[in-house]
Amino acid sequence: MLVYLIKRLGLAMVVVCLVVLVLFSLLHLIPGDPATIALGPRATPEAIARYAEKMHLNDPIWQQFLIYIGNAASGDLGLDVFSNRPVTAIILDRIGFTLALVFASMGWAVVLGIPLGCLAAVRPDSLLDRITGVLAVGSIALPSFLVSIWALLIFAVEFRWLPAIGAGEPGDFSDQLSHLVLPAFAIGLSWVGYLARMVRASMLEVMGENYIRSARAFGLRPRKVVYGYALRVAILPTITLIGMGFGGLISATVFAEIIFARPGIGKLIFDSVMARNFPVVQGAVLVATALYIFVVLFSDILIAWLDPRVRESL
Amino acid sequence: MPELDSGSVPEDITETEVRESAARERREKLKLFLTNWQGLAGLILVILFFASAIFAPLLAPYDPNALDIPARLSPPTLEHLAGTDQLGRDTFSRLLYGGRVALKIAAIGVSVALVVGLILGMIAGSGPRWLDNLLLLLFDTVRAFPTIVLALATVALTGPSLELVLAIVIITSIPQYARVARTATLSLKNSEFILAERSLGAGKVRLLWHHITPNVVGPLMILAAMDVPVVVTVEAGLSFLGLGVLPPTASWGTILNEGYLVIRDTPWMVTAAGVPLILTTLGFTFLGEALRDIFDPRMGKGR
Amino acid sequence: MAKDMSQTNDILLDVRDLSVDFRTSRGRIKALRDVNFSIRKNRIVGIVGESGSGKSTVLWAMLGLLAKNADVTGGEILFEDRDLLHASEAQLRAARGEDISVVFQDPMTSQIPVLTYGRQMLDILYRRPNLSAAQKRKMAVDMLGKVGIPDPDRRIDQYPHHFSGGMRQRAGIAMALLTGPKLLLADEPTTALDVTMEAQIIHLLQELKQELDATVVVVSHNLGLIAELCDDVVVMYAGDVVEAGDVREIFHNAQHPYTRALLECDPARIDDVSRKLPVIPGDIPDLARQLPACIYAPRCQRAMDVCRSEVPPTVERGDDSFAKCHLLGGPHEDPDWPPPQDVLTVYRGEDTTEKLKAKRSEKPLLEVENLNVRFETVGRLSAMFKGVDQRHVDAVLDVSLTVGPGETLGLVGESGSGKTTLGRSVLNLTPAQGGSVRFEGQEVRNMPERSFKPLRRDMAMMFQDPAGSLSPRKSVRALITEPLQIHGITGVDLDAEAERLAEMVRLAKPLLSRYPHELSGGQARRVGVARALALNPKLIIADEPTAGLDVSVQGEILNLMADLQAEHGLGYLIITHNLPVVRHIADRLAIMYLGRIVEQGPTDQIFANPMHPYTQALVEGVPQPDPDRRRAHVSISGEVPSLLNRPKGCDFCTRCPYVQDKCRTEKPPHFHPEENRSHACFFPLT
Repeated sequence: MLVYLIKRLGLAMVVVCLVVLVLFSLLHLIPGDPATIALGPRATPEAIARYAEKMHLNDPIWQQFLIYIGNAASGDLGLDVFSNRPVTAIILDRIGFTLALVFASMGWAVVLGIPLGCLAAVRPDSLLDRITGVLAVGSIALPSFLVSIWALLIFAVEFRWLPAIGAGEPGDFSDQLSHLVLPAFAIGLSWVGYLARMVRASMLEVMGENYIRSARAFGLRPRKVVYGYALRVAILPTITLIGMGFGGLISATVFAEIIFARPGIGKLIFDSVMARNFPVVQGAVLVATALYIFVVLFSDILIAWLDPRVRESL
Repeated sequence: MPELDSGSVPEDITETEVRESAARERREKLKLFLTNWQGLAGLILVILFFASAIFAPLLAPYDPNALDIPARLSPPTLEHLAGTDQLGRDTFSRLLYGGRVALKIAAIGVSVALVVGLILGMIAGSGPRWLDNLLLLLFDTVRAFPTIVLALATVALTGPSLELVLAIVIITSIPQYARVARTATLSLKNSEFILAERSLGAGKVRLLWHHITPNVVGPLMILAAMDVPVVVTVEAGLSFLGLGVLPPTASWGTILNEGYLVIRDTPWMVTAAGVPLILTTLGFTFLGEALRDIFDPRMGKGR
Repeated sequence: MAKDMSQTNDILLDVRDLSVDFRTSRGRIKALRDVNFSIRKNRIVGIVGESGSGKSTVLWAMLGLLAKNADVTGGEILFEDRDLLHASEAQLRAARGEDISVVFQDPMTSQIPVLTYGRQMLDILYRRPNLSAAQKRKMAVDMLGKVGIPDPDRRIDQYPHHFSGGMRQRAGIAMALLTGPKLLLADEPTTALDVTMEAQIIHLLQELKQELDATVVVVSHNLGLIAELCDDVVVMYAGDVVEAGDVREIFHNAQHPYTRALLECDPARIDDVSRKLPVIPGDIPDLARQLPACIYAPRCQRAMDVCRSEVPPTVERGDDSFAKCHLLGGPHEDPDWPPPQDVLTVYRGEDTTEKLKAKRSEKPLLEVENLNVRFETVGRLSAMFKGVDQRHVDAVLDVSLTVGPGETLGLVGESGSGKTTLGRSVLNLTPAQGGSVRFEGQEVRNMPERSFKPLRRDMAMMFQDPAGSLSPRKSVRALITEPLQIHGITGVDLDAEAERLAEMVRLAKPLLSRYPHELSGGQARRVGVARALALNPKLIIADEPTAGLDVSVQGEILNLMADLQAEHGLGYLIITHNLPVVRHIADRLAIMYLGRIVEQGPTDQIFANPMHPYTQALVEGVPQPDPDRRRAHVSISGEVPSLLNRPKGCDFCTRCPYVQDKCRTEKPPHFHPEENRSHACFFPLT
């Protein structure tokens, strides 16, 4: 198990480094001077020279890469081009909003989606199954940014039930919560359907296994068979999918943050792209990507922990 | 004594009957599909999507870029079926033309990603261990970028364009096709029928092309149907953010963006622009689900 | 009917007129039609039948656990005084696990992998609220000990994947017996196990039955198992009970033509080496179609016109003993039926021994010498981390054998003996690490594929899984002619060639346009044979040629192979675990254990006086389809050790009943006591 942990962690680190490399190459593959690109066409020659000096742009590219990796490892992601604030500090300011949104969205989707999938799987082709099936597939098809826009239109603009933009007053928990409702709804909606379908499919597969028939042949209660036995196995592929789907969740978060003007990482990336504030873009993209990589890592480890077969084969 | 060693087919089965049993299975699958209303609805929506995009110039009542300032921000009327935007352009015509962008991205993006993913996946699955590991690492790296985040990072450098959207779509979808193709190739590679082919002397090319590809393509096609909504959404989303198709070109994303800017004045634009997007994603999702239910052997077995 | 008369207290379970349909896309399949039999208390009852006979459906109907597309269209199953077919779900659940319990066919898939045995057994005891968890655990541990699991107090906290196949089945039996059920159902309890394990499980079931005073129903296709274990037998064919009765009556005086034919087809009953096995012609009927009045009529060698039009009478002989056949009663009764035991009622095929002799030659076709195949088990990196030095296991160790033209060599071993690996590495499908493989005198081991390819025309392989070894998206026609295309043979009409080959393997021509999944096991096997023969090979390596085939079908395939051998002088290397089958077709046998050949010699000599204790255990391990020849004891215990823990001395020393000190420390070399025999034992038996 320890070997596995080290191996997976090492691999995740390699991928993070490759991600940095890709971001770096992007900057340097584009024809033109990176400083000019980073600062935009209106930057003065002095600013460009200063920037190039500060960012070690005059060193060979592999040196710059190593410097960046080294700095990033010690928590230094460079400086904001305009405000000269450390990028790390800016990201730390914002990341809480993103994490709250991500977990709220995933949270309600899991709480609703998994039981729905189980119920549908217990009685396949029942009315409940058909209804949840259609709703689930329908909700999967809904692009989350469209749901965001429409939710904004209906609940915030037309009915004015919930606040439209921002993240709420700092310190005012209920206000922050009310600002979380609409974006979390918009992001989580398609996940409810997605999870329900996934759980249903993997439950159906597991319910057809011989060991479920054994459990029933020993007279165990149906509830025990479904939730104690079948779900215990069927949840494993679902965890993998949640981990893998986390990337899509981050993409959805970017949209939701922009539409609801929520000051999270996604909004930060977007604003910095618009302002051509490249160090911030680079830092924030790195953080978002690393977050995803480690969620996938975590889900793999969780499975290894839940499944004795996997746990011991490592 | 009756003829005893005469093969195991009862004499009363004729060739036509056997042919029928093979054809019957195909007919049954078709029948299954046609009686599955979700699949049928999906198919109709998908056809509608293709037709409306291809025939947009014939169907559109107005030039998508023709201004009609007096009628700006009009709600749906008989003249303007889906209302007009802040410049008085007919939203319905713009939506029809926007479908062309979506179709272009979906058709080119998905097919290129599928073919490249299939090839890379089969190389990874059948090639040497080190190449497999290298390709896997590559797939993992690309997959590590949330699509929109990668798009944002790239647009920051190159500026927005349709080609960029296409490139992003292709690059980010290749890994999932490749992974499926790789897994299927790996499991097929060690299956008994491939061993049997090898024992007859079948070469690598024959194995891959005649025996592995036909068994890998099926699941990939289903994946592709499920992937179209994602691709169309990415294009619309990026255009919505102003990072994809640039105005004045009509795209569902740009229309949504323009509508979002006037959302407090009129709800019609964001409503109207969302409808074709949702119908398209619904159509492909339903179609993909139905195809999977019918053709995925793991789902089908009368449970 | 018999049951109405004998409706006494000693009947535990009574199945009356049970009819079950399955709804499928092909229409309704009448899987069971008016099935009648009863089970007496404290008896072991065997339900025997080939695949598709409905024997398992009966078992699941008893538990109320039929598949969702099953419709019970009539009948009742009386258990004590309750009707299980019409009981509520709650009543059924109360009976399951408490009154009626099950041992499953495949212990590998029927135990949930993510829970420990302790947890699973605790769950089974949930209806005992007055027992504390500690008491329940003690019960479970005791039961595990009783079924022969060593160190049960520790092993109860392990997961199923920690147990070997035989141990798992023991644990499965322990779980079934935990609640002390009145009726124990066993669904093919030994099918997934090796011969030596099978004998142990049969023995265990017999012991437990005596000790626990339960009634047992065993469902199986294995006649030997039934004869060895059961008191009463129910014979099923295609959804019908054709005969039922006392085990001796059935095995020594079978009344129904099907029972008679089934017994005659069992290779374990035949003692002579004739290369031909008796067969029942035809296939089991398609139950979705219109059925004849007697379901066996289309395959019956004594079928009369009346059999297709009139339902045969149920003719009784004593308590719960009956057979359904026109020959036995009514206007068409034949007093000369059944014929005496030594008369064959089914066809056996012509003897080809003479014809074959002409094809023999002294020059061997295939010579294998000291072949070694190793598998890497641990990656270089993990080995460093975990401090493992032994990164390889020897799957095949110093194997030498020869096959001549027109000769059949049977390579026999249990799973994990390396026999399949050996076959593959001879054909260059798995690289070998040492030794030599010569084909017609030419060294071919690890030859590059480019130069080996022409040789593949002379050496063909038949794979274990008949349908699984056919490319799923190719038609039979394409599959049969593919060898010609691979080897670039031009100038032949592929369609004509396909028909010629189909005719050769007696495959009906209409099947040429089918796809592999549309074929029955026997048909798929014929396609495999046709592919192997397409290029006129000289040597065929057949891996378990009868695996997955019913008794009545396997004879057809083996007879076909024998005919082809006589016709073309083929050399066969037949890899199998099925000793009774090779006994009739092999000239010589090689017995493999843990990758080594422990004994080699002419078939009749090996059976008559085995020299290696393992060979003896295998020969004696086959249950005889004769209730009068039950074994009193099991000759060897334990299971095949993993290749990872190959014993230091003799590979068999951990299980050998005659083991001595020398065996544990020194590996025996191959001895050659007679010209054509060899063995690897310091203390041979004769």
